[in-house]
Amino acid sequence: MEEYIISLEDLKKLADNLIKEGTDLFLPSPDNSRFVRLKKADELKLAPEARPSDISAKQAAFPKCDPVLFYKRDKSTVELKDAEPSANQVLFGLKPCDAAAFGIMNKVFNWDYKDNFFNKRLENTLVIGLACTYSDDYCFCTSVGLSPVSETGSDIFLVRLSDAQFAARAVTDKGIQFVKKYSQLFAKGDSSKSKPALESIKGPARKFDSKKVKDWLDKNFETDFFNPVGDTCLGCGQCAFVCPTCHCFDIVDEDYSYSEGRRMKNWDACQFSLFTLHASGHNPRDNQAKRYRQRVNHKFKYYIDRFKEILCTGCGRCSRGCPVTIDIGSIVTKIGNLT
Amino acid sequence: MVANIQEKSLYLPKLAKMTKKERFTDKEMFFEFRFDDGSNLNHRPGQFVELSIYGIGEAPISISSSPTQQGYFELCVRSVGRVTSYLHNNLNVGDYVGIRGPFGNGFPFEKFKGHDMLFICGGLGVAPLRSLINYTLDKTKRGDFGKVYILYGCKNNQEWLYQKEVEGWKNRADVETYLTVDKCTDSNWKGNVGVITTLIPKVNFDVNKTIAVICGPPIMYKFVVLELKNRNFKEENIYMSLERRMKCGVGKCGHCQINSVYVCQSGPVFDLPTVRKLQEAI
Ligand SMILES: Cc1cc2nc3c(=O)[nH]c(=O)nc-3n(C[C@H](O)[C@H](O)[C@H](O)COP(=O)(O)OP(=O)(O)OC[C@H]3O[C@@H](n4cnc5c(N)ncnc54)[C@H](O)[C@@H]3O)c2cc1C
Ligand code: SF4
Ligand code: SF4
Ligand code: FES
Repeated sequence: MEEYIISLEDLKKLADNLIKEGTDLFLPSPDNSRFVRLKKADELKLAPEARPSDISAKQAAFPKCDPVLFYKRDKSTVELKDAEPSANQVLFGLKPCDAAAFGIMNKVFNWDYKDNFFNKRLENTLVIGLACTYSDDYCFCTSVGLSPVSETGSDIFLVRLSDAQFAARAVTDKGIQFVKKYSQLFAKGDSSKSKPALESIKGPARKFDSKKVKDWLDKNFETDFFNPVGDTCLGCGQCAFVCPTCHCFDIVDEDYSYSEGRRMKNWDACQFSLFTLHASGHNPRDNQAKRYRQRVNHKFKYYIDRFKEILCTGCGRCSRGCPVTIDIGSIVTKIGNLT
Repeated sequence: MVANIQEKSLYLPKLAKMTKKERFTDKEMFFEFRFDDGSNLNHRPGQFVELSIYGIGEAPISISSSPTQQGYFELCVRSVGRVTSYLHNNLNVGDYVGIRGPFGNGFPFEKFKGHDMLFICGGLGVAPLRSLINYTLDKTKRGDFGKVYILYGCKNNQEWLYQKEVEGWKNRADVETYLTVDKCTDSNWKGNVGVITTLIPKVNFDVNKTIAVICGPPIMYKFVVLELKNRNFKEENIYMSLERRMKCGVGKCGHCQINSVYVCQSGPVFDLPTVRKLQEAI
């Protein structure tokens, strides 16, 4: 592991270089609601003490609305055009619970057929992670195999040493190449600098055993456990839309005019009643308890069965944002205690 | 099995031209399509395509023709929503649609070789099963299979699909065809009246060498399976094609998921023991 030191001033210089080169830079917005493009380098801010942004960074590889083709219609003929590849982008200051999500989603987008819209974006993305000093009642990264200091998914991982100085670890080959390219901004450092800072991070208080959760889910598909949450849940889909790992989508055509338009991959959510409605009117998940059961099972059982990963990074966003205070962390903690 | 998936994009269809359009019933129409380059779909019976109409959307539709029919493929489509009604009402012979696929596993017909075949079709379920039926009955393949029984039921006498072809099946000496209507709406009808399960006791199949293949509305499966079990049918010899809402067809979008299985990829055809292990499947 190569470790460097970089000052906030030099990080701003780095951002300035990247912007001038035409790279898109994204970081959490000042109100922490979402990821926004950084236009002026001196507005760069890294806030390890801030809560995870309300909406995750997944849009970098899996946008809300993603054109997959453009069409032109002329009476009986159709002309098709593939969507353009995306620009280079750097994501600044991702929390470990955001950075790890790309690798988790990568599994479903590549298990058989390859989704190049996701892959191209990820290839063109450099992730600069940031050790996180925030935690609240909703966080549970340490129960799903991560931690506030895990480097999984980061190409470069930053640790704040002081307001003006950061330790920077080049984690992946991509990160090492990047540091090489801008080597005049990175000074050689060593882990003695970052170690005390990392050790002072305590992490979230919530703890459950995800293996026990899976054990219970393995045995209890038919259950009334989800009835109360099914009665409360509005089926609004907020939880899926803010989640860094939820990846379900719809395919929808958008006409610009009668003669041309585009086909979109748009986010969808299993909490919507129409998600599984057959054309015949039959619906295999015909009530909200079944749909919530699907959400928990997909994250803590099915995805593990198929891809050996928990489909959750413990960021707590879905719970923080839920209009009726449904908290997935406390629900799976309860499940863990049932076995 | 990446036959007609374009190299650069999973979601880019290939254009196909409508070369036949024929009305079956008020709701269902028959279509034949061809690719301009003359290529085949290279499908297996039981697979489906994603059919697109630009500006309207995409819908999964079973391939209704047998792969032994070369140079074109056929679909039978019920008009229920945006894509399917546009196809019925606004597109005509000579117009183009987009085709992605074939997708899904299809029937494991290699395993069926040497067996007698019992086809149980309810309503529109005849569309995917016709692909396998015509494959089985094709003169180049007929020798691979033993006796063939076709059970086909509709709601009423106005709902028959592939009526001429069904007559052809009835007239073949090497096929036993049994038809039924839930409700008789034609005074000339001399056949059976009652749901499809009422046909099963009439068929004299040998449970030791017969494969049953079922496709129909979700409600039908449980009852047909019960009736087959009454006749001591082995569960591993019962196959069914499951319906799920589908979008991408390539195991990404999550719509068709049952437990950890993507029906669009690992299905839509499953044997009964597998279906039994899937919760929420039927
Ligand atoms: C593997 C597989 C194979 C299939 N094979 C066949 C086949 O061979 N033939 C076939 O006909 N079908 C088949 N289907 C079903 C077919 O995919 C659906 O009928 C089709 O997707 C409907 O698409 P649509 O755009 O026409 O309907 P949509 O517009 O998506 O409508 C879907 C449902 O919503 C309803 N709806 C539509 N618009 C409205 C509205 N404005 N308000 C209220 N409700 C509305 C419709 O009545 C319908 O029930 C298959 C499905 C699968 C999964
Ligand atoms: S955010 Fe809350 S109310 Fe909305 S679908 Fe998710 S759990 Fe239900
Ligand atoms: S399920 Fe909730 S806690 Fe888990 S990754 Fe998604 S938003 Fe975060
Ligand atoms: S239809 Fe999209 S995953 Fe199966």
